[in-house]
Amino acid sequence: MTATDHVQAPAPAAPTRKRARDRVRPVLFIAKKVLSLVATLFVASLAVFFSRFLVPGDPARFLLRGRSPKPEALEEITRQFGLDKPAWEQYLNWLGGILHGDWGRSLTYRQDVSDVLLGRLPTTLQLVALAAVFITVLGLFAGIVASLNKGFGDRFILITLTAAGAVPPFVAAIALVALFSVGLGWFPSFGSGDGGWDRIWHLTLPALALGITYIAMVARVTRSSMNEQLLREHVEVATSRGLTRGSVVARHVLRNAMGPILTVSGVLVAGLLVSSAIIERTFGLSGIGQLLVQSIDRLDFGVVQAIVMVVVAAFVLVNTVVDLVQPLIDPRIAAGTESR
Amino acid sequence: MSQLLQIENFTLGFPGRPPLLDSVSLHVNDGEAVALVGESGSGKSLTTRAALGLLPGGSESSGLVSVQGLDTLTASKQRLMELRRRHASMIFQDPRAGINPVRTVGDFLTETLVRLDGLSRAEATERAVAQLEQVGLRRAGGLMDQHPHQLSGGMLQRVMIAAALLNSPDLLLCDEPTTAQDVTTQAGIVKLLREEQQSRGMGMLFITHDLNLAASLCERVYVLRRGEVVEHGPTRTVFLTPEQDYTRQLVEATPVIETGAGSSVAAVPGLDPTPLLKVSGLSKTYQLPRGGTVTALEGADFSLPEGGSLGIVGESGSGKSTLARLVVALETPTSGELTLRDIPRPQRPLRASERKALAKEVQIVFQDPYLSLDPRIPVGNAVADVFRLHQKQGRKEAKESSRSLLGRVGIGPERFDALPRALSGGQRQRVALAKALAARPRLLVLDEATSALDVSVQAQVLELVEELRDQLGLTILFVTHDLAVVSRLCSEVVVMHQGRIVEQGPTARILEDPGDHYTRNLIASRPRPLWDAEPVTA
Repeated sequence: MTATDHVQAPAPAAPTRKRARDRVRPVLFIAKKVLSLVATLFVASLAVFFSRFLVPGDPARFLLRGRSPKPEALEEITRQFGLDKPAWEQYLNWLGGILHGDWGRSLTYRQDVSDVLLGRLPTTLQLVALAAVFITVLGLFAGIVASLNKGFGDRFILITLTAAGAVPPFVAAIALVALFSVGLGWFPSFGSGDGGWDRIWHLTLPALALGITYIAMVARVTRSSMNEQLLREHVEVATSRGLTRGSVVARHVLRNAMGPILTVSGVLVAGLLVSSAIIERTFGLSGIGQLLVQSIDRLDFGVVQAIVMVVVAAFVLVNTVVDLVQPLIDPRIAAGTESR
Repeated sequence: MSQLLQIENFTLGFPGRPPLLDSVSLHVNDGEAVALVGESGSGKSLTTRAALGLLPGGSESSGLVSVQGLDTLTASKQRLMELRRRHASMIFQDPRAGINPVRTVGDFLTETLVRLDGLSRAEATERAVAQLEQVGLRRAGGLMDQHPHQLSGGMLQRVMIAAALLNSPDLLLCDEPTTAQDVTTQAGIVKLLREEQQSRGMGMLFITHDLNLAASLCERVYVLRRGEVVEHGPTRTVFLTPEQDYTRQLVEATPVIETGAGSSVAAVPGLDPTPLLKVSGLSKTYQLPRGGTVTALEGADFSLPEGGSLGIVGESGSGKSTLARLVVALETPTSGELTLRDIPRPQRPLRASERKALAKEVQIVFQDPYLSLDPRIPVGNAVADVFRLHQKQGRKEAKESSRSLLGRVGIGPERFDALPRALSGGQRQRVALAKALAARPRLLVLDEATSALDVSVQAQVLELVEELRDQLGLTILFVTHDLAVVSRLCSEVVVMHQGRIVEQGPTARILEDPGDHYTRNLIASRPRPLWDAEPVTA
């Protein structure tokens, strides 16, 4: 035990001080992230609301399309929707309303925006969720297989991925419909079904069409991130200790490669909400993507603003969650010593 | 005695290229410690990894590599895993790269026990803690939940050793386990390895490029050069009466502490009244991002006369590199004075013109020539650029000067247009030296300039520096962790520890009669041959 003398034990005061800091640090970390989430949402709300004033056209006038705009009627509608007040007051009212769950009234549907939105949101969320499942499962699988099978397997998957990544969603949609609904008759080509398994059955093709580009991206990130880890010395050490190939890959390669994969998947999945519009149209689903396009067309600002805010919120939220999870995946990030 | 590890006529290579290993034969008996010595690229790591069946992908091999009768070149995956689990363990060079940074130390230690030996988590933890304590780590229970980045390099290497010993292997393979460590840490690790090897009766194959280290640990030695065993035998015989020229060169190149008359360092004739470099009360502190400060250097005082040579010795974190960077103005001092040729250094970052003027006086050569040369600039141009900048030479003239200077440091004209990646480490460091000399500085700062090089290359570079010092009258500031290098090159030495200068004076005096406890520790930590009966005192 003489060797003990060489190891410098830290000063007795150090551990307690350190432990106290370790307790405070995660709280601070989370607080900072949440604060920046709120700040981002606030700035986004400013941009979303005031960008309306950059668009040409008077929403009230649009409502009266086809009729001769009587000045009184125009004024009536303008007042009814609060369009006569100064911009900042309109903004404050709007923001205050949102905080109470009131998103204003839709100009075209003559309904509360929240009602319009709630009718459409579930379909889109289900579509995006299913696509996210496909993206993670298929993307990870393809990436792992590619990185572990050097040579032909890797090259084959890589070429397939590049091709898949270049297919626009609507082309993928048509191809999938032609093959699986018209040709094989396995999946329906239209509508969103009646909930439960029927819903999933109906949404399978749309989700695949929506996700195909993203599957390719996630697979590529997985592949390169794993390849980088495979060269690391700790992987060789793990192998030299007699662990099975499976253990080494799962515990030391994939586990360490998770950081970049998660970051990229997070950004991609959050972006799905917007890109679902085309797919919803192709498969005749009534989701918020299609609603967004229609509402822009009809200058229905209330709905547009609400949808954009929802999309932005989802985007920022997913990224914040990814940021919060990162330190659990790589403890060096929390310590601020990460130098990749 | 049975042969634990037996390697016969082992040849390894990639198809279509000359073999990396050529008919290597060696053996390790039960309970024997054997060293495998060679320079980088000699194939020592490949040989050792082959013992565990870890061969580079796409390589072709022939011959016999057997551990306890199991031929690892032909064995099934199952048998290989069995071998790695129960019979042979390996300790790698850099524990920071070798232990998964995102998992806890405890996970690293227990994963084989839990997954392969079917122990419960509690049992595995208990065994791991006991093993950690045995390798000399205190508060082992607390270490289990920590991540590798929270431990020092020396502690991590002990964790790595503990992991290797967990399954009581019969054969321990060590791949330069102390190269990434400080001298004092190295001494502790070597002692631990020796103790464990003796008490457990393990066979050990110890790879190193450091002959002193091999001599301090192993009874027999194999010398490997370019994939061939050139000499082997008992360590003492090989080192004291080497048969091969190559071994003789290696032994001669290995730095030893020279004191007294043997030293090539001439005493400085008469102290210069106006020192070239004068430093007083120099300090540098860094502000941490989360508050608090780190004092890298505190109250340094010394002066360096024109034509003198000063060695700055210390471990990593002692502040020696900070000092070197302050001298060449890569850092700005927090307080204190630094005077170079009677010109005081302002306490602010230098302006471009000041920096250029300073660069004519002071040049620095960094540790890693793989990083310090621009990979896209041919070496001849790199040196010529300095001539054009500092000597105001024309394009053609600069090329001529560059050619002759490179010739002087031993880089022939045929290498003039070579990119750094086409040169060996030693050649690159010569180019880096030439780049520094092209400015015709008065003071040359060498920041661990030979630490990344092999012993024989280090010897050549040191010889070159010595020669240039004498011919050009250069003043030299040599920052290093290696006392032997200092004893060879420097007449004065400064010993640093935790940001402070603990001792300074003439090299011979300090090495023979160190006044400070830390200096004594540093000198005692240098590896000693086993046949030197003198015990190591910590």
